[in-house]
Amino acid sequence: MLVQLLIDSFSIGSFYALVALGFSLIFGVTHAFNLAHGELILLSGYLAYTLGKHFNIPFVCTLPVCMLALVFVAMLLHQLLRRVKEPFELNSLVVTFGLALLLQNAMLYGFSADYRLIPLAPVPTLDFPRLHVFITKPQLTLVGLSLLVTASIYLLWRKTFLGKALRATIQDREAARLAGINVEHMSLIAFILGGMLIGLAGPLYAQREYLHPFGGMEATLIGIIITIFAGVGRIRGILLGGWILGGVESTTVFFLGASWRELVSALVLIILVIARPAGVLTKGARSAKR
Amino acid sequence: MRISKPGLSSFLVLVVASVFIAWPVFSTGSGIYYRVLSLACLYGALALSWNILALTGSISLGHAAFFGLGAYGSALACQYWHWSPYVTIFLGGIIGCLYGLVWHLTFRKLRGAAFALATLASVEIPKVTIDNWDRVTSGSLGLIGIEGLPPVRLWSLTLDVDRNLQVQCFFLVLFALSVLYIHVKAISSRWGWAIRAVREDETAASTLGVDVLRIRLQALMASAFLTGLGGAIYAHLMGSVEPALVFGLHFSALPLVLSIFGGRYLALGPFLGALILYPADQLIFHSWLPAGHAALYGLVMVITILFFPHGIGEWVQQETKSV
Repeated sequence: MLVQLLIDSFSIGSFYALVALGFSLIFGVTHAFNLAHGELILLSGYLAYTLGKHFNIPFVCTLPVCMLALVFVAMLLHQLLRRVKEPFELNSLVVTFGLALLLQNAMLYGFSADYRLIPLAPVPTLDFPRLHVFITKPQLTLVGLSLLVTASIYLLWRKTFLGKALRATIQDREAARLAGINVEHMSLIAFILGGMLIGLAGPLYAQREYLHPFGGMEATLIGIIITIFAGVGRIRGILLGGWILGGVESTTVFFLGASWRELVSALVLIILVIARPAGVLTKGARSAKR
Repeated sequence: MRISKPGLSSFLVLVVASVFIAWPVFSTGSGIYYRVLSLACLYGALALSWNILALTGSISLGHAAFFGLGAYGSALACQYWHWSPYVTIFLGGIIGCLYGLVWHLTFRKLRGAAFALATLASVEIPKVTIDNWDRVTSGSLGLIGIEGLPPVRLWSLTLDVDRNLQVQCFFLVLFALSVLYIHVKAISSRWGWAIRAVREDETAASTLGVDVLRIRLQALMASAFLTGLGGAIYAHLMGSVEPALVFGLHFSALPLVLSIFGGRYLALGPFLGALILYPADQLIFHSWLPAGHAALYGLVMVITILFFPHGIGEWVQQETKSV
């Protein structure tokens, strides 16, 4: 039982890290609080669902299509958020809140309020009866892809010049600008990378959970929680945060039932925001006074 | 610093509003017009209550918590204790107010984006609790058959608030006007000046002798109480509530949209926003786009923040000033 719980936490946690990574990249580089993050993931999920259902495209092939589409959407979002005035963090919060509402209703119109799930192919399940442990193939895909992408972002972050420039922008925009880094370009790149990550997370989300037009806020909260926990631009921290949150949620689901999961993530967020007001969010507090 | 007193422009807005409100008396329009106007007034009241808190500089993304708690509190009290809805409505307001107190105690140190995030998350707590507390609240199915507002006897006159849409409309106008009165006080009285001082600079305000924490607490409690009251009235008007609806994003976002659209720093701004946007949504958008008509609010929110962050009320005021 314990082993099963650990495996579930690990697989959900890796996926949460993927969800948070996109949010954290965009937030870190541009300081834009994207409350429509979850809705964008849903949008990508719906896209994969439509491609699979109506055009019979295999699941693996929908991934690049979704990533490409969401990169485009993220670039549009970048254009939109560039025009937001000071105080930037609070205003971007309100704008993306409106965007979330807009996307929810657009998806309600386009895909109706029915629950959708990307059907799982009948695949062999890894079963260890002696340990009472099941591992399903989607779980393996989920973990594999999430870890692969997180690792490649980590390599980009640490080993390339672009990664260095992005990190510099996160640390101090003004100093980065003085050092000759084009901060505007870095913002665009952050949105492109973020769009790719969102595009990848969508189909995986749709395979794991039912899609519903109003279900995006949960993914957004997950992204925010892990970003605040880890601090911006700390990829290993994000991975750790994802596993911890996955563990906490799996344990809650195991002992209390699935309906209490949202409450736990909300409580974790509130505790984090209160405990770390000096962390990520100080800037927002300072500029909001004006 | 932005100074707004109920001047000529506000007077014009008031005239427009009263035309809106007086219209049902003189016309024999169908029931839907009363319904839309009543709900526009309810949403206007919600927007005004939200703005009382926003005037202190704290943008809340979680007013659905107060709304839902008010709705559930009143409906449950009515169902289990058989109290008159007119009493339980106030109970709903008080429950909202208590949750506001919880906010004050836990989010005291948070400002700006951190406060907004915390409030957004705090909606989930009552929502999930009510969702899972099946024995009392019948869970995610919600409550149905909530008792409507009973008739009021005024001398020889019997006003059937529940069934007569005209009377209902006036009841809600009355509610909106009382909230409006408090909102005007929150802008232009001595208390309003204290609120404004807190918004502009807390340190400077406390140097001048303003008790910052107390002002913030008062604004939050007033806002939470009135929102809870609005939620309770909604529950008795609609006759049914369910957690996913009354704690939904809709009721957190709507006051924000209406206030920002109408003008956050004007006494009548949020109410004006409600009187324009809600009928536009219900009468035009709803027939045109039945599913997803609420996209209008999201669109308006984005456009307003990008192009006229002080709302259209401000624009009306400038126009009249230049005249």
